[in-house]
Amino acid sequence: MTVMMIVGTVVCAASLLICWGMTPVRDHPADSSIVSIAAVELFLVAYGLYAGARQLGFDAPILGEVWEFWGYLATALLLPIGVFIWAMVDRTRWSNLVMSSVGLVVFVMVYRMEEIWWGSAL
Amino acid sequence: MGKRSVSTEDSAENSPEHAGGAAPAVPRNRGVGMLIITAYGIFAVSSTARALYQLIVHGEDAPVAYALSGLAAAVYILATLALARTSAAAWRTALAAVLVELVGVVGVGLWTVLEPQLFADATVWSHFGQGYGYVPLVLPLIGLAWLLRHRSGARRAAAARDAESSEIRE
Repeated sequence: MTVMMIVGTVVCAASLLICWGMTPVRDHPADSSIVSIAAVELFLVAYGLYAGARQLGFDAPILGEVWEFWGYLATALLLPIGVFIWAMVDRTRWSNLVMSSVGLVVFVMVYRMEEIWWGSAL
Repeated sequence: MGKRSVSTEDSAENSPEHAGGAAPAVPRNRGVGMLIITAYGIFAVSSTARALYQLIVHGEDAPVAYALSGLAAAVYILATLALARTSAAAWRTALAAVLVELVGVVGVGLWTVLEPQLFADATVWSHFGQGYGYVPLVLPLIGLAWLLRHRSGARRAAAARDAESSEIRE
């Protein structure tokens, strides 16, 4: 398991727990939920920059298909933005639950990206 | 932490659908419905990406699997759009899409178990959605339950639930 995978898991899990935690206690989108999905987005940007550096020729070539990896990353980068916009359509407690999908789905996508790059995520 | 108090009741009252109604109810595409639509949206995106990837990169390796991936993607897109709208026509479209989805995941699930040689590559619905944590199997059931609960006749029940939840809030 790479450091990036560990960081990603922690960020996604924290976001998921914050969003879940905020759902019963806030009847509007909680600031902490929004900050937590922003943190996931920030992680993805860092993950992308690091993967870009690897792609440009450090000693860790991608094992899977190059454009599948970048397709996953592009989709993952759009996800927190799309979910944020959707969560703001109706500002109720459910917005927090909607935002919790970011941590869950991005974790799975990072897991898949690690698999594509290294052959295994673990 | 700005404590804005935008309650579900406010948004329900403002929506034209409930303007004349005595008891305000949360519309089908709000509240928990937002979450269901989010899940459908995520599956629409991921299954479309998967279908496009399989068709473009792998071409004719597994035509049955790729055709079904494409079908699944179309059904998810249709279901997402229909669930997000509140008209009676959208309700029927959503019901049809969710039923096709249910038949699809059970049918393809069984098919992949009984005749795995037909499926050289996986689809979203292979083995009842195993590759996606069985969410594809659960999602149509939740969608179906949500739709049946939110017919016009079910509005009274929704209003009762609403009153209950506002009591909890206070």
